[in-house]
Amino acid sequence: MKSNVIRRSILDAITVAVIGLVIISVIVDPTTEQLMDLKFNSFLFLGLLALGAFLSHVLNSMFGIKTMGQNLFEPDYEKAKAEAKPIYRTFWGWHFFITLIILFVVGLNKTQFSIVELLDEDGFAGAKRLFAGIFNPNWGVLPAAVLNIIETIFMAFLATMLAIPFAFVLSFMAAKNIMKGSIAFAIYMFIRTFLNVTRSVEALVWAIIFSVWVGIGPFAGMLALMIHSIASLTKQYSEMVETVYEGPIEGVQSCGANKLQTIWFAIVPQVILPYISFTVYRWDINVRMATIIGLVGGGGIGTMLIKYQGQAMWPEVGTIIVVIAAVVWIMDQASAYIREALK
Amino acid sequence: MSEPVLKIRNLIKTYDNGVQALKGVSFDVKKGEFLVVIGLSGSGKSTLLRCINRLHDPTSGEILFAGKDSAKLQSAGEIRSLRKKMGMIFQHFNLIPRHTVLGNVLVGKLANTSTWKSFLGLFSAEDKAEAMKYLKLVGISEKAHIRADQLSGGQQQRVAIARALTQNPEILLADEPVASLDPATCHVVMDYLRKVNQELGITIICNLHFLSLVRIYATRVIALKGGELVYEGDPKNIDQAWFEKIYGDGAKEVHIN
Repeated sequence: MKSNVIRRSILDAITVAVIGLVIISVIVDPTTEQLMDLKFNSFLFLGLLALGAFLSHVLNSMFGIKTMGQNLFEPDYEKAKAEAKPIYRTFWGWHFFITLIILFVVGLNKTQFSIVELLDEDGFAGAKRLFAGIFNPNWGVLPAAVLNIIETIFMAFLATMLAIPFAFVLSFMAAKNIMKGSIAFAIYMFIRTFLNVTRSVEALVWAIIFSVWVGIGPFAGMLALMIHSIASLTKQYSEMVETVYEGPIEGVQSCGANKLQTIWFAIVPQVILPYISFTVYRWDINVRMATIIGLVGGGGIGTMLIKYQGQAMWPEVGTIIVVIAAVVWIMDQASAYIREALK
Repeated sequence: MSEPVLKIRNLIKTYDNGVQALKGVSFDVKKGEFLVVIGLSGSGKSTLLRCINRLHDPTSGEILFAGKDSAKLQSAGEIRSLRKKMGMIFQHFNLIPRHTVLGNVLVGKLANTSTWKSFLGLFSAEDKAEAMKYLKLVGISEKAHIRADQLSGGQQQRVAIARALTQNPEILLADEPVASLDPATCHVVMDYLRKVNQELGITIICNLHFLSLVRIYATRVIALKGGELVYEGDPKNIDQAWFEKIYGDGAKEVHIN
């Protein structure tokens, strides 16, 4: 089967299954016990998926009615065949809008969205108290906040620096145009998969893991950021390697250079500026992430923030927020200027 | 013009996508000649040159060079030492844009330099002197410390010639060396290639588009059409009939002066 047909069927099946489940829950109004019955619900979901895929096939292949999946994934030459119709006169348009509206309503329901809560007087008074505190910072904690943010900046810096050599080496092994041949391709696939898994685990989770491993503090936070940076930088670096010009590679190879020399002389000069640019940006991101990571015991300004927040000491929290905002803004500007200059 | 330096026998190249670029090409290259390969785009000229120095792997056939069949070479080391003996210049020059001119010419010495030394840029004084010598030969030594991407196309191609010469090659392969240059610069570059051929005695195999250039520079010519050899001989004997046979009916010759 063609890949676009597979994608079409999956997307359409999921929309039908979700809409179906929503309709069933509205009609049946299930109890908590019924909701927790994972086995039965999984079968129900699978059944609806099958129904959706079947409907998608019937509509597209037998009646020639385009579903959302078909419209999204069909190849361009198929698209060119049909005449353009306004979106409200197409099946896929209604398919899309109805799905979107149902998802929106479910979202309101799931997040317990409530205007009443937002405007509730007691709650409002609490928020006022908080803002009053934050807007009257207690500058007494400023020295400690500055020391802590310095710790955060260096956590981010060291994490970035330690990630560079790993990411540099891995980036070539994760680039398709370098890893030709069956063994090389196997290594490429392994590294790609490994990086994707690593990247899909949030830095926050890594921080929790490392705070158990090496103890709460900046070291744990730094390790978490390093792991995350290696995965992210390798992906960005390797994408640069995949877009290099072939010409210099042929030129260097034709002189009898070996594989490493070819990489060093033909590829590295082409990617070095984007590499530096990505790295500066990564440091900038890491400073922001380091703050969040501090909240779960990664050290630095985040740990200080969570301490005062836990005791509802809002003037102190206000000072910390000012310090974080100032540093993030400066880092953001500085990295933007540096990256601009590197172009 | 003595014994063949390169013998190609029944060379076939089929790409992975099924395109047959070369369909059994055989010819000899004599020592010291300036052999020009002509043909339309897609006739297999570039593939032919890239098979000779194994930038591409031939599907079958023989390439006899220096007492070995280089079509059969398997190990990366053997292929590297083959390439060491053959310089190559390209239509788009293929220099390293961010390196200096001298740095680019020293790339010709990579095969003789250990990996770690080349990484640190530690080329020997003799290597550097040799690189400068060839930069002088192509008249561009005063630009040695300028970045390669600052040069004009013709200058870049001369740097590429110097890079190839620094390998001390027996054969120089030139793939459309003047196709992206203007007509005036074209002759400058071709004149340097002739100088290399005549003064240094390096055998040249050169792909060209323009028949007018072929008549001026080639000592012998072969023509490819659809991956097959259709003409072999003296460039002066290519008349209108041959021209139409090689380039297709109704083709008009364009002159570069």
